[in-house]
Amino acid sequence: MSVARKALEMTQAAAEAIVQRAEGRYEAHRQEIFRATDRMFAGLMIGQWIFAIFIALTFSPYGWQGKVKTVHMHVWVALILGAVITSLPVALAWLRPGELLTRHAIAAGQMLWSALLIHLTGGRIETHFHVFGSLAFLAFYRDWPVLITGTVVIATEHLIRGIVWPESVYGIPNPEWWRFLEHAFWVVFCISILIPSCRRGLKDMRVMAERGAELEALSENQWRNSSVVERAAADPRGDR
Amino acid sequence: MERAPASDKSRLASRLAWIGAAAWLLAVAGGFAILWKYKSTPGSGGAVPPQRWPAGSTVARSPDRATLLLFAHPRCTCTRASLAELARILARFHDRLDARVLFWTPREAPAGWDRGDLWTSAARIPGVTVLRDAEGAEASRFGVATSGGVVLYDARGRLLFHGGITAARGHEGDSFGQERIALLLTTGAADRADAPVFGCALEQEPPVRVARAGAPTTIQGEQR
Repeated sequence: MSVARKALEMTQAAAEAIVQRAEGRYEAHRQEIFRATDRMFAGLMIGQWIFAIFIALTFSPYGWQGKVKTVHMHVWVALILGAVITSLPVALAWLRPGELLTRHAIAAGQMLWSALLIHLTGGRIETHFHVFGSLAFLAFYRDWPVLITGTVVIATEHLIRGIVWPESVYGIPNPEWWRFLEHAFWVVFCISILIPSCRRGLKDMRVMAERGAELEALSENQWRNSSVVERAAADPRGDR
Repeated sequence: MERAPASDKSRLASRLAWIGAAAWLLAVAGGFAILWKYKSTPGSGGAVPPQRWPAGSTVARSPDRATLLLFAHPRCTCTRASLAELARILARFHDRLDARVLFWTPREAPAGWDRGDLWTSAARIPGVTVLRDAEGAEASRFGVATSGGVVLYDARGRLLFHGGITAARGHEGDSFGQERIALLLTTGAADRADAPVFGCALEQEPPVRVARAGAPTTIQGEQR
C-alpha cells in the first residue's frame, strides 16, 4: 500500500511539475508575442506619423485667403497631434514592453491614427479601411480585450463627433438614433470574428506548451534512465 | 529589505505610466477638438445671390435645364472635396443639370497659376465646363465669397439654391447642400435653399463686406 501510495504521489508530483512547466512555457510564449507585437506597433506608429506628414505636405500644404497662403492646418495637425498620438504607445513599447497598459495604449493610439488619417484625407471612404486593418493587426496580440479597447476608442470618437458635429459623420444634422449602430455594425462584425480567432490561438498555444513540457519531462527522464543504465554497464561486477 | 524599495519604485513607475496615459488621452482629445472646430467652421457666406440670373453675367445659362455654378480657388485643397461631391451630384443628375466650375484668378497671377490639379480634376468631371473668373468678377456678381460655394438656377433663371456641398472643410461625404440640391431637382422643394460653405476665402477682403457697404451684388429677395 505504501509503495503504491508513494508511486501515486510521485506520479502526481511529476504531473504537477509538467503542468507548472507548461504554464511557464505558455506565459513565456505570450510575453514573447506581446513584446514582438509592441515592437511592431512602435515601428508602425512612427511610420504612420511620417506618412501623415507626407500626406499633409503633399495634398494640403497651404491654406489660402485670396492671394495669401499660410501653412495649412493639416500640416500642423499631422506634425503635432500625430506626435502626441505616437508618443505614449512608442514610449511604453520602449520602456514597458509586454505590459497590459502598453498594449491597450497601443490599441487606443492605433484607432486614433485611423481617425486622424480619415481627417487628413478629407474623409475619403477608402481611408476608413484603416480601421479594419488596424483591428486585424491588433489581433496579433492574441489578447481579445485589446480589440475591445480599440473598438471603444473608435466608437467613442465617432459617437462624440456624431453628437457635437453630426453632419461630419452622417451628413445630416438630426440622424436617426440607429445610424450610430449602422456605423458600429461593421466594426462589431469584424471583432466578432477576430475575438474567437484570438481565443483559438491561445488554446493552440496552451496545447503547444503542454506538449513541449511533456516532451521536456520525457527527455529528462530518458537522460536520467540512460545514465543509470550506463552506470550499471560501466561496473562489470554489478556492485555499486 | 532590499526588495521593498524596488517594489515601491515599480509601483511608482506604474502609477506614473497610468497618469501619463490619462494626460495623453486629454491631450489627444484637445487636439481632435481643435481639428473638429477648424473643419466645422464655415467660410464667409458672402452676399445673398441674385434671385434671377444676373443679366451682366458672362457665364452662359442653360435654357432647358438647371445650371449649377461652383466657384473655386485654384489652390484651395479643401475644394478637392467640393469637386468630388460635384462629380457625385452630376453622376446622379447629369440629365437635369449643366455645371460650370469658375476658378478665381487674380489679375497679376503668372500664367498657369490657376491650372493646377483642381482645374484638371474639374475638367475631368463629365458635363462640367471649366472657366476662369478673372478677379472674381462672377463670384462677386453671384455673391460667393468662399471656395466651394455653389449657386443653382432653374431653366427659367430663378435661384433655387446657394451654399456649399460638403459637410465640413475639405471633407467628403453626404451634406445638407447635396441633399437639398437633390430634393430641389427631384421634387422642386426643400426645407431650406442654402447651406454653409467650407473652404478658403476667394478674396482677402470677402465680398460680404463690400455688399454691406452697399455694393449692387446683394439683391435681397424672397427665399424659396
